Amino acid sequence: MRRIGILICFCLAALTARAAHTHVQLLLSANPARPGDTIWAGVDMKMDAGWHTYWKNSGAAGLPTRIEWQLPPGVTAGEIQWPLPEKLPPAEVTTYGYENEVMLLVPLTLATNLNPGPLDLKANVSWLECEQQCVPGSTNVETTLNIGGETKTSADAATIESWKNKVPMPLPVGNSWSVSAWWENLASGDTRSLIIECFPVATLERMIIDKADFFPGASDNFEIQAATENLLGKTSGFRLRKLVKKFSGDWPKEISGVVVMESGGKQTGFEVKLPVSDQAPAVAPATVTSTTPTVSAPVLPAQSLWRMLLYAFIGGLILNLMPCVLPVIALKILGFVSEAGSSPRRIRALGLIYALGVLVSFLVLASVVISIKAAGHHAGWGMQFGSPIFIVCLTTLVTLVALNLFGVFEVTLGGRALDAAGGLASRHGMAGAFFNGVLATTLATPCTAPFLAPALGFAFAQDAGTIILIFSFVGLGLASPYILLSWNPAWLKFLPKPGAWMEKFKIAMGFPMLATVVWLFNVASSSYGKNVLWLGIFLVVAAFAAWIFGEFFQRGRSHKTAAAIVTLFLLVGGYAFALEKELDWRTAMPQTDTTGSLKESPDGIDWQRWSPEAVTQARADGKPVLVDFTADWCLTCQVNKKTSIEISSVRKKLKDLNAIALIGDYTHFPDAITAELNRYARAGVPLVLVYPKTPDTQPVVLPEVLTPNIVLNALDQAAQ
Amino acid sequence: MKKALVLLAAMAMAVTTFAVEVGKPAPDFTGTDINGKTVKLSDYQGKIVIIESYNSDCPFCHNHYATGAMQELQRDLAAKGVVWLVVDSVNTKNFSYRTPEQARKELVDQKITATAWIDDHSGAVGHLYDMKTTPHMFVIAADGTLAYDGAIDNRPSPSGDPRTAKNYVRAAVDELLAGKPVEISQTKPYGCAVHYAD
Repeated sequence: MRRIGILICFCLAALTARAAHTHVQLLLSANPARPGDTIWAGVDMKMDAGWHTYWKNSGAAGLPTRIEWQLPPGVTAGEIQWPLPEKLPPAEVTTYGYENEVMLLVPLTLATNLNPGPLDLKANVSWLECEQQCVPGSTNVETTLNIGGETKTSADAATIESWKNKVPMPLPVGNSWSVSAWWENLASGDTRSLIIECFPVATLERMIIDKADFFPGASDNFEIQAATENLLGKTSGFRLRKLVKKFSGDWPKEISGVVVMESGGKQTGFEVKLPVSDQAPAVAPATVTSTTPTVSAPVLPAQSLWRMLLYAFIGGLILNLMPCVLPVIALKILGFVSEAGSSPRRIRALGLIYALGVLVSFLVLASVVISIKAAGHHAGWGMQFGSPIFIVCLTTLVTLVALNLFGVFEVTLGGRALDAAGGLASRHGMAGAFFNGVLATTLATPCTAPFLAPALGFAFAQDAGTIILIFSFVGLGLASPYILLSWNPAWLKFLPKPGAWMEKFKIAMGFPMLATVVWLFNVASSSYGKNVLWLGIFLVVAAFAAWIFGEFFQRGRSHKTAAAIVTLFLLVGGYAFALEKELDWRTAMPQTDTTGSLKESPDGIDWQRWSPEAVTQARADGKPVLVDFTADWCLTCQVNKKTSIEISSVRKKLKDLNAIALIGDYTHFPDAITAELNRYARAGVPLVLVYPKTPDTQPVVLPEVLTPNIVLNALDQAAQ
Repeated sequence: MKKALVLLAAMAMAVTTFAVEVGKPAPDFTGTDINGKTVKLSDYQGKIVIIESYNSDCPFCHNHYATGAMQELQRDLAAKGVVWLVVDSVNTKNFSYRTPEQARKELVDQKITATAWIDDHSGAVGHLYDMKTTPHMFVIAADGTLAYDGAIDNRPSPSGDPRTAKNYVRAAVDELLAGKPVEISQTKPYGCAVHYAD
């Protein structure tokens, strides 16, 4: 009997359309308003505790709220803007809706010819409200809008604004997130699993996504089910697995909905429309040559680890030939020559010590990378070259190495003065060999080489163990030629016999070191601008001090104390005056970006500054795009530019194809570019991309070492 | 944590229990009807069977019954020898739960023509068929394969006359009886969530 009674009550409630549990109100963002303006109407729905109403896709059950407007002529209502809903339990019948309160927002456009005076705005709002059971509700709401000579925000404007902020926005053009969707497998029956992946492209602040989800739009032919599996842990992006149930027709080629991410307790939603591809996109897109393998970081099967280790080793080996390491090679040659007469055991030991120096340096680098990653920051290959302090120290060190090779001073180890024939780096004591290894690694880091780039790009996305492993293999690769040579001293017979010429050779080898100093000096100038002069002055003072030290302290016979004091005075004074006072070296500000063309010469390539927006814009215009990610300290980049990019044939090709050239300056390690490099599974520069003129196609990644033909061919392909 | 587990379970269920699939044999079940009689799906082999996920407190179901459209369909199909099973999976704690006594009375009051009303308050049959909503409809062909799974019609509304809509169940039965393939064999069910036991 009681049931029937309730049923009757319920019927009455339904008939009178009086909502028992939801209170509806119509608010306006402005009142009065001018003809021609667009104002916001807010349909505010307050639900009793425990009751909820539904989103535009109600999910597995429920019904979206409807608004039917009865508006005077000249007032037009737009579509409902739905604030981000919640997923509502139970899990087996998940729905999307709102608890407590929601405000549905509707833009009202006022015609320009509206006459001043009051207008009645009416709407019928109907909804389904559910708790333990569901009740349909319907009510008429109305309000009066005064048309006048000015638009004034109403008392409700702030509330409406706060709800507007909860409406998912479309991903902006040149967006900072890259979202893609693909079928994980072939269909088995009526269900198929879908992967939705989202990665930041150029967020300046790295955001760790705590939770992510996808709320699908409604569809008659298929249903993207509510359950979500996040395949990646807490990281800056996410990869979701959703099950799609098909009701009729083909598998959808496109899905729409809202990507929801939660970071630091803050929830954001983006409205997206995604094409669904039949297979996972390659993370490293098509390459012109095969030096960059397809890396689907960061989830990789074990067999790929072996391939990456091989790449790491080969990359390290090739690193020996990269311009940044060449000066150290000179030292190594000298080392082998001077040791040619020594016992095989000693040569072997020195080879191993050198390798140890390389390995230890790589392990230090690996631990730095791991700790930076653990602190939640981006890490990248060669990142220390973005630090002016590091550059200043390295410039000073390499200057001293050059002076040492010139014989200006000697380095004493363990209190014993070494003989005049050798300096620190050329002297093949154990410590010298170790130092050589450290120096080779330090100078190698601003370069990436073929094979090295994919391996490092892979490594930077992995756990600590894998990072250490990959870095060790790069080190082994770098050191391996010397280990081999020292193991087969017979091969050293091809080198000339030691003799007086060695002193001359040693001095000659000081000049590549000076060249390195010039390069570092140039890198420093990007941090200090014209003030870099003071670094030069400090270097001269330090060089002078080194000469006093060598000539009067080490080789002199009297006044040794005075010489030492003068040396100390010069170093301290030079440091205090030139570096501290004038250069203010520890607080260097990167030079502000110039805008507009970054042309290097009047007839040079019309470079524009890279940004994701610039790429999107150019592609929207249907132009091919050449992107050069480079850095002042990246010698490979500079060589590429001189030999294969900033050359007349490429200039002409770019002009002929009406292509856009963008340059991304990685000198100071901007996060936006780190993120972009990571997207292509790279840890450092160079990275040269060529985007085809057809939008939505992946760019071609050029190899690390370029030839004019590689660039020209890639551009030709892009224009097709 | 509990939520996550439930979600995982739902996920696992979604993957593994696609026992219910159009074109495949409909899974057999045994239930108890409101008269205490045991009902087995396989008992009706050779006949077309309709399964209706039922909760008359749900405005969608309610509208189908209040307008008499559902009873009309039941009578029409019964005349064609079709078996109609009402499955009520509402849990015992829910407002809409019907004791067998209440259900027997409601069956009469609502003028329901059904072969049986299965008291599924445990949710066993509901979960087996992955019933999402009330009403969620299934049509099983005489050979025991599932011929239709989804909404009752193309008019997801708790008010108005359902007779104006395209009734997928009626269409499927007519096509089966005519020996034709079922044109629309799957749709997204609409209605209220089934109030399963936790």
